[in-house]
Amino acid sequence: MYRYDTFDRRFVSERVEHYRAQTQRYLAGELAEDEFLQLRLRNGLYVQRLAPMLRVAVPYGTLSSDQLRTLAHIARDFDRGYGHLSTRQNVQYNWPELAEVPDILQALAEVDMHAIQTSGNCIRNVTTDEFAGVAADETIDPRPYCELMRQWSTAHPEFDWLPRKFKIAVSGAATDRAATLVHDIGLKVYRDNQGAVQFDFSVGGGLGRTPVIAETIRTGLDIEHLLTYLEAIMRVYNRYGRRDNKYKARIKILVRAMGATSFREQVDAEWAHLKDGPSTLTDEEIARMESHFVPPAYHEHTEDLSALGAQRLSSPEFGRWVAQNVSAHKQTGYAVVTLSTKVAGIPPGDVTDLQMEAVADWADRFGFGEIRISHEQNFVLPDVPIASLWELWQEAQAQELAESNVGLLGNIICCPGGDYCSLANAKSIPVAEAIQREIADADYLHDLGPIDLNISGCMNACGHHHVGNIGILGVDKKGQEFYQISLGGHSGHSGLDASLGQIVGPSCSRADVTSVIGKILDVFVEQRQPEEAFIHCFKRIGIEPFKERIYASAD
Amino acid sequence: MRLLTEATEWSDETAEPMLEQGSDSMVMQPLSEWVPESGNGLALEVDDEPTSQFCQAPLITINFPVFTDGRGLSLAVLLRTRYDFTGELRAVGDVHQDLLHYMRRCGFDSYVLPEHRQLPAADNRQPFSPYTDYYQASVIQPEPAFRRVPRGA
Repeated sequence: MYRYDTFDRRFVSERVEHYRAQTQRYLAGELAEDEFLQLRLRNGLYVQRLAPMLRVAVPYGTLSSDQLRTLAHIARDFDRGYGHLSTRQNVQYNWPELAEVPDILQALAEVDMHAIQTSGNCIRNVTTDEFAGVAADETIDPRPYCELMRQWSTAHPEFDWLPRKFKIAVSGAATDRAATLVHDIGLKVYRDNQGAVQFDFSVGGGLGRTPVIAETIRTGLDIEHLLTYLEAIMRVYNRYGRRDNKYKARIKILVRAMGATSFREQVDAEWAHLKDGPSTLTDEEIARMESHFVPPAYHEHTEDLSALGAQRLSSPEFGRWVAQNVSAHKQTGYAVVTLSTKVAGIPPGDVTDLQMEAVADWADRFGFGEIRISHEQNFVLPDVPIASLWELWQEAQAQELAESNVGLLGNIICCPGGDYCSLANAKSIPVAEAIQREIADADYLHDLGPIDLNISGCMNACGHHHVGNIGILGVDKKGQEFYQISLGGHSGHSGLDASLGQIVGPSCSRADVTSVIGKILDVFVEQRQPEEAFIHCFKRIGIEPFKERIYASAD
Repeated sequence: MRLLTEATEWSDETAEPMLEQGSDSMVMQPLSEWVPESGNGLALEVDDEPTSQFCQAPLITINFPVFTDGRGLSLAVLLRTRYDFTGELRAVGDVHQDLLHYMRRCGFDSYVLPEHRQLPAADNRQPFSPYTDYYQASVIQPEPAFRRVPRGA
């Protein structure tokens, strides 16, 4: 993983002191509320319904065991003993004191972490595949290029005051686990026939109240041009993106208004001036970044899986966990393990200080000290020897991190919702919990097969409900919480193109959500062909059978 | 309103930023009225489109309608890098003291700070350069760090 040098450390520590001085001026009454707001947002601090919320950047979802231990200390010393894994691979604290935030940032800086640009109308943390560098289906590890973009975008003089927030996601694998096509910029990175690193650029994707699948505007861009081409896109957006209405300020609205072709022409005209300029990447810089992400010193392991087979036979529960939560690794004898945070009764993505420390210890014992955070709000251990899976599973059970529901309905993606967020129209966590409790039977969940269920408490769509196979959106109807259900969304993994869900019909009350989900699953079970996944079944039979069942009694 | 200019400030470590009351005496005209040969200053809005004629202006002001509007930053970069404007480039309007460092890196060299905005008392230079160095290229440092600074140590 990337290790800071003296340049990075100096910048981050100067940033802490800069923000500390700004906080002191605010507390002394020298900075107005709305002015300080813009500064604290760019340092990760929101003010939420109950308290400030601090969002810590976990660049492209990768962190070390020592960094995770520091996150555990911060949860204990500055918060209420837990943190939250976000859908953008970051870590959030719900209860920090505004005056203490500079001290938290200093504690982060000591382990080469920060909260820079995790909120505000600027370029946010670049996200990627949580299996980057280890996935069997990967063509190239995208993280060196994510780090290049992190450094380029940090305190950029021209692009820190954009019309709206700006999110970039990168994928380097056959399966797009980073949902790149619903980002402001989605990048696909690969090698051409000669082995040169190239990028495909898609722009204008996004969720929120106007969900859009991104349009591809350039393919086969050589890596040396990565930053200059990004600058051309950012400049066109910064100058022409709407600033009169925050709901129309994302780049997707500009791309749609101009048309993708004319947007591309504008970008190309701008890029003609920037191409081959000083921001063109040098071979040395590319090689330096790539050198931070060379594979660790894997041990030789046997390909013999008979021991694992025997363990799976001896415990069906372990067998289910291996089937759902363990993924193929590039390296023979190793596996990628997803530790699910999705346990009924616990808000999806919430983890305690003790769980964080346990995960950090496992990363050291069963890997090379590295941890990932997935956009599905789970921990990932990227380098677990297959021979250690049984031991890890047993320890993970003791920490309530062994739920075998990855890819299944129980792995609900969910925003903090009305319990915490001041933007939310409705609560989302109790809905997730009700569904998890209602559909708790492990055999039934496994029989249902892969289903992505996403819940957002408002149309800002932090729970990515548009790309859930089943999406649930909290809406406000005259002060009452209602929930709109959509079907058929897909974030672009498993060999399917990304697609947006279709709304089934009028929204329902919170009390009715679980029964509506039950009816949807009944239709699926009745109509599905052997082994057919929910999304494939939906694409085959369409929305009508579901509509008919859900609204049958209303006719 | 106080006018802050950089000309004297950066050459002398001990000098205070030069503060002037009011604006200076140059006649400023909006783009719709400005004539390149007039010798008058050009008062731009953030959504004006730059042209090479602007180089004939001795002074260009860019008016920030709100301090969070980054269009003025891109316009400044274009004037300095695309059109090689070498005259004085001044930020006016809703200028915020905590954003001066962005403006400076985008090519501004003078700023009119509204009366209600105060520079932090402790250090007048700090708002202009709160960081020792930056990762990316800028108008005042055209080379990004990876071309200038040995990295990895």
